[in-house]
Amino acid sequence: MVSVQKVEAVKEALRVPFRMKLEFDYAMGAHAERFFHALRDHARILGVKCPACKRVYVPPRPVCGICFVETRDWGEVSDEGTLVGCTVVDLPFIDPMTGERRPVPYGFAIIRLDGADTAMYHFLEETDPKRMYVGQRVKAVFREQRTGSLQDILHFRAVQG
Amino acid sequence: MAERVAIVATGQTRHTAKRLDVNLRELITEAVTRALEDADLRIQDIDAVFLGNMEPFEGFMFPELWSVEGWGGYGKPAIKFNTGGTVGTTTTMAAYYYLAAGLYETVLAIGFEKQSEGHTQAAITTVGDPIWERTMMAGAVGNFAVMASTYVHESGVTPEQAAKVAVKARRNACNNEYAHLQMPNITVEEVMQSQMLAHPIRKLDMCPQSDGAVAMVLASEAKAKKLASRPAWIKAVATAHEQQYMGDSPKRLAIMRSQVTASQKVYKAAGIANPRKDLDVAEIYEVATYAEMAMYENLGFCERGQGGVLIDQGVTSMEGELPVNPSGGVLSANPIGATAMIRVAEAALQVMGKAGKRQVPNVHTALATGYGGNAWTDALILSSR
Amino acid sequence: MAAESWAVHQKIEIPFQYTAGPAVTRFLEGLKDKLIVASVCSKCGRRSVPPLSFCGRCWRPIAEFISVSGEGTLLSFTRRAGGDVLYGMIQLEGTDSSLAHYVTGEVGRLRIGCKVAAVWRAGRTGSILDIEGFREVGN
Repeated sequence: MVSVQKVEAVKEALRVPFRMKLEFDYAMGAHAERFFHALRDHARILGVKCPACKRVYVPPRPVCGICFVETRDWGEVSDEGTLVGCTVVDLPFIDPMTGERRPVPYGFAIIRLDGADTAMYHFLEETDPKRMYVGQRVKAVFREQRTGSLQDILHFRAVQG
Repeated sequence: MAERVAIVATGQTRHTAKRLDVNLRELITEAVTRALEDADLRIQDIDAVFLGNMEPFEGFMFPELWSVEGWGGYGKPAIKFNTGGTVGTTTTMAAYYYLAAGLYETVLAIGFEKQSEGHTQAAITTVGDPIWERTMMAGAVGNFAVMASTYVHESGVTPEQAAKVAVKARRNACNNEYAHLQMPNITVEEVMQSQMLAHPIRKLDMCPQSDGAVAMVLASEAKAKKLASRPAWIKAVATAHEQQYMGDSPKRLAIMRSQVTASQKVYKAAGIANPRKDLDVAEIYEVATYAEMAMYENLGFCERGQGGVLIDQGVTSMEGELPVNPSGGVLSANPIGATAMIRVAEAALQVMGKAGKRQVPNVHTALATGYGGNAWTDALILSSR
Repeated sequence: MAAESWAVHQKIEIPFQYTAGPAVTRFLEGLKDKLIVASVCSKCGRRSVPPLSFCGRCWRPIAEFISVSGEGTLLSFTRRAGGDVLYGMIQLEGTDSSLAHYVTGEVGRLRIGCKVAAVWRAGRTGSILDIEGFREVGN
């Protein structure tokens, strides 16, 4: 026989903690592999050109998003470039790659390298917003030990324009 | 020829930082119950349910499965959408397509989010490409900050002008009983002294993170005329996409190709030659103060570089020529999966003359937009006729 | 090229705090006292565990909550590959729904339809794991 008994309301609704941990293996694709081989082995930065609109993509994209044409013509671009946009992140948000708060402040920018028509995300050495500006000239600082990732570039450092 | 389609009813929760008294499913029920009451409909009268949110914010895969008891989906056709910030407009537009095709007579559309349950900037950072972006990316805040720096450089807008957008939004929100941030005494100085999140974006320049839900009933022409004395007719809808990577289309905020394309399409379809004159009100998905000014330019409310002038002149204030976000906008409530649909619901309330204290007089034509993935734009034109 | 194809190993780790809501809060609080709380819809009479605060079928709020037996029927079960952890769906006596939980017992003896009973943990905190699992008590 089922015991049936009324249950009264509780005062405060509970919260239930849960920590989601997932692991992924993201395939780079051939274009990214070629880029990261050059970066790791020679500290060189490669771009790829759209045969239709002639835009040079850095990072390299396998397809030009505007022309919908495969990109094939590779070439080296400079390790110096210009800030297209920049900020200093002060908000200590949860970093989804660690589950912990990301250390702040850090300089974050999109950078167009000389010889490229597009721009890439990277860190800036500078963490004072007063000392960075759109149009500023910067140069890549490569790591000594490189593994084949965008973090083979430590960050970008301001240089005299 | 497509059927005419209208929004006939809306329902919202009071958007707030933390709704600890209800779970996600119960939050949805609140909004749906209000929308059904607004239309004087029973759940049995609904032909299909379209809904959506941003799944990583709560970490629920298939929230439609988990929440079905909360929106009456049992035994009904239902489709879940997930298009990021635009999910609320995507869901609305999908309902529109089905009704326009004559497949249903009444569709319930729902947007919802409970951001207090997860970590929004963490989830948004997973939008970034794992190889090229995630390590540097700092959620929506970081991306908007980088884009804002470019926009400031291009247009010359100032922190004072940005602060005026924040003040307009939070004061408008005082007339909206559903808004999260209602700040009647907010000042430009307060905004400019608020905590820096990512230069130049301060806390009061950015939208809040909210718990909230919205529901709307959309109906075919014959049904709409029965259900509402003054339905909000959907005159035009458009979506436009952008290249994935921000760096592939530099100046993304200053020059929003997706927003220009989508808005020009709906203006053309709805016979709008001069949006600033022909629109009576706009509810736009602005996210941050700097973004609102950039959007004025991209939506054709002013010339390039004039976004700051528009806010200085009060053109987009409640008393101005084209009030933008009488609801207080995203800057005053951002339950992300609901946010874009709130824009549509608020635009619909304006057209229906049911916007209460935030009603703009004599609204016949309204624009609503959604912005998602830091890239793409939805645009809708609602009309009293 | 294929032999050397690169993949980037990456972790996503995000903490969450789920709001239980009034019905599930009753359920979790009840577990501390070895009570299993079910909701009862005043229209269709459906008894649900875990409990609901709203009946989506009848479209009405639920105001009645009762405690039900910790005994029930095993509706289905499976074993996690490579381990000895068993879990299944359990329909508690007097309810119209089923609850997912661990099941203990010899795999050979477990049958769909067999009777199971809740095994309570000591030091209960208001978590679904206050029930250690359901143990088979007879075919």
